[in-house]
Amino acid sequence: MKSQKKSGNPILNFFSSVKLAIFLFIILAITSIVGTIIPQGESLQFYLERYGPNLFNIIRWLHLDNTYHSWWYLTLLGLFSINLLVCISRRLPYTLELVRRDNLNVDDTKLKKMPQRAFWNLNPGLDETRQKRLIDLFSKIVGGRRRERELEGGGKLFLVEKGKWSYWGLYGLHFSLLIIFAGAIIGNIFGFGGGVMIAEGEAVDHIYSRTDNSPIPLGFSVRCDKFVVQFYDNGAPKLFKSDLTIIEDGKEVLKKEILVNAPLSYKGIRFYQSSYQAIPSVKMKLVRSDGKEKVLTIPAYKKISLPEEHLELGIMQFIPNIHGVPAIRLWVGNPKGGSQAFWVLKGRDGEFKNEGQIYKVVLESVQNRYMTGLQVKKDPGVPLVYLGCLGLILGIFVAFWVPHRRWWLMIKPKESATEVILAGQTNKNKAGFRKEFEELKAKVNEIIGEKRS
Amino acid sequence: MMSSSYLLGITTFIYLGAAVLYMMHWIFRLKPMGVLGTITTVVGFLVQTAGIGLRWIESYKMGYGHAPLSNLYESLVFFSWATAITYLFVEYKTKSRAIGAFAMPFAVAAMAYASFNPNVRDAIEPLIPALQSNWLLAHVITCFIGYAAFAVACGLGIMYLIKNMSSHPDEGLLGAFPSLKNIDELMHQTIIFGFLWLSIGIITGAVWANQAWGTYWSWDPKETWSLITWFVYATALHARFVRGWRGTKIAYISIIGFCSVIFTYFGVNFLLSGLHSYGSQ
Repeated sequence: MKSQKKSGNPILNFFSSVKLAIFLFIILAITSIVGTIIPQGESLQFYLERYGPNLFNIIRWLHLDNTYHSWWYLTLLGLFSINLLVCISRRLPYTLELVRRDNLNVDDTKLKKMPQRAFWNLNPGLDETRQKRLIDLFSKIVGGRRRERELEGGGKLFLVEKGKWSYWGLYGLHFSLLIIFAGAIIGNIFGFGGGVMIAEGEAVDHIYSRTDNSPIPLGFSVRCDKFVVQFYDNGAPKLFKSDLTIIEDGKEVLKKEILVNAPLSYKGIRFYQSSYQAIPSVKMKLVRSDGKEKVLTIPAYKKISLPEEHLELGIMQFIPNIHGVPAIRLWVGNPKGGSQAFWVLKGRDGEFKNEGQIYKVVLESVQNRYMTGLQVKKDPGVPLVYLGCLGLILGIFVAFWVPHRRWWLMIKPKESATEVILAGQTNKNKAGFRKEFEELKAKVNEIIGEKRS
Repeated sequence: MMSSSYLLGITTFIYLGAAVLYMMHWIFRLKPMGVLGTITTVVGFLVQTAGIGLRWIESYKMGYGHAPLSNLYESLVFFSWATAITYLFVEYKTKSRAIGAFAMPFAVAAMAYASFNPNVRDAIEPLIPALQSNWLLAHVITCFIGYAAFAVACGLGIMYLIKNMSSHPDEGLLGAFPSLKNIDELMHQTIIFGFLWLSIGIITGAVWANQAWGTYWSWDPKETWSLITWFVYATALHARFVRGWRGTKIAYISIIGFCSVIFTYFGVNFLLSGLHSYGSQ
């Protein structure tokens, strides 16, 4: 575990030290606290008002408004990665040596020094049947492959070895962290994140970047067919749902209902249900004094124009319920100039004049139309991140709980007597191994039919 | 009428009884008290399990239908449950009941806080859309198994420091503790166990966040604090394996680590709640 070969290169030595790793753990833990205390991602004005000019300068210089993406935090993470890489590479030769070592290549003196050992000197020696039973017993040790070799002075050495591969768990676990970092970097370079609001019935072919609000083209269109919101009796939201359709080259290629925990994915771009907005839209009838009628639907806070009538109409204000009926404040303008605004309630019509005509406004109904708020994300690094996460967990498990266990059995004739040596070694859960070894030893005693000498 | 709140309510007192019995066993060297402590803990654990199960059923009867792991109250109950089972496992493995005097108070404290703090709402609430995910179950269970293990490791750390400070560590009260070497080893094993589950907890959280919001990591205070906790325990493991730290130093890290757990769990919700609160949409 400890001894690693030192190279002459002081930079490599610096990065290969676990002291640095521990130092970085502590520094990262402490500095990470900063970003949880200072609110992140606010405007500069916010920090100036909240912390005063002196602290503000420190915050700005150290980018404490965006701590985890600041130059110094990323530098720490970079050092951490290099440290990790150098540490595990430096360790590799040592592990290779351990894995390549032939555990059959041991002699009796070495076996007698193993952490678990028992030996018998049998006189008269062990007969064929009992030898065979002994070897059978030894082979039955669960799951291990038995290997053997003839000893030079006669006799045999048997070895059952399990979990030698477990040394790689440590590498798997540390390398997995680097894979996670790689995934994060790939996601940052090749991915994007943003959002868009789509009204029911409408489609968009671009979204707006999360970082700078610039439009990002999707390469296809997304239409929101329907949005549904439901509430529990206690007022808490129960369901946000959007029916989305992907349209590419004029064709509907995919329809899917999305929920907060069930996004839509198309060509690596994922659409997440994140918010909504209700936009009322007003249906009204415009009756000209000469009897000509026109039915209009105008979304709230929007303006429409009727060029043939030389009119522009807009809903300035909307009240869903006033004395039991909906009300709107209608704005009417003429393209050549002049405008007016007045209230229209359902059942109480409004009236205005334009270019010699008198118009009556009848408020027929107000419908709620929804806009669904989608978060849009492309992150090609996610599979790598997940792979790294899986490797990390498996790696921790193997590194801490899969032991490398070795059992030896040596049967060696010594003139008229026979020497039997049983030995065992493990690198994890030594107490459990000792118990198993004692059980094996008891069984060997049974076969040999003698007390240990 | 047997209700989940009734069962969970009496669990608090059963666990309190168990903790007191373990202390009496430890302080007065009364072996029957220890056995009684174990029986009481097991009974409490069964009552609590029934309470959690009943609460689950009740939520279905109310039409909400979700595992009882969705709010602070339910997570505290689960934390206490996980601490009790982790401790029982450690007791079974070590046959040392003195540890109960240090581990069970964590289970009592969590239950008492859940039951008696007026700010902790114990009503069964429906799940808001963000929480309607199978990842909720996986995430909360894994995190809290980790937290429970760290609670036990913290208790062991305190035992280690107390025993180590004494000039006669093998006499009197401290003689009932396992040897320093054994406490150290046990603490180490418990930390490894907790570390695995914390890692899985962070990862299930990340996968869930990616499923719900499209980002597996967004550096919000809760996430960041769980990472800080992870760094603290990573320090303990590396310092032990590679630098050979033992005993006192690891005991301190174990205690610091658990403080970090507590902060991740409560502090972020209460002190930093202005920045972020989970599950709000």
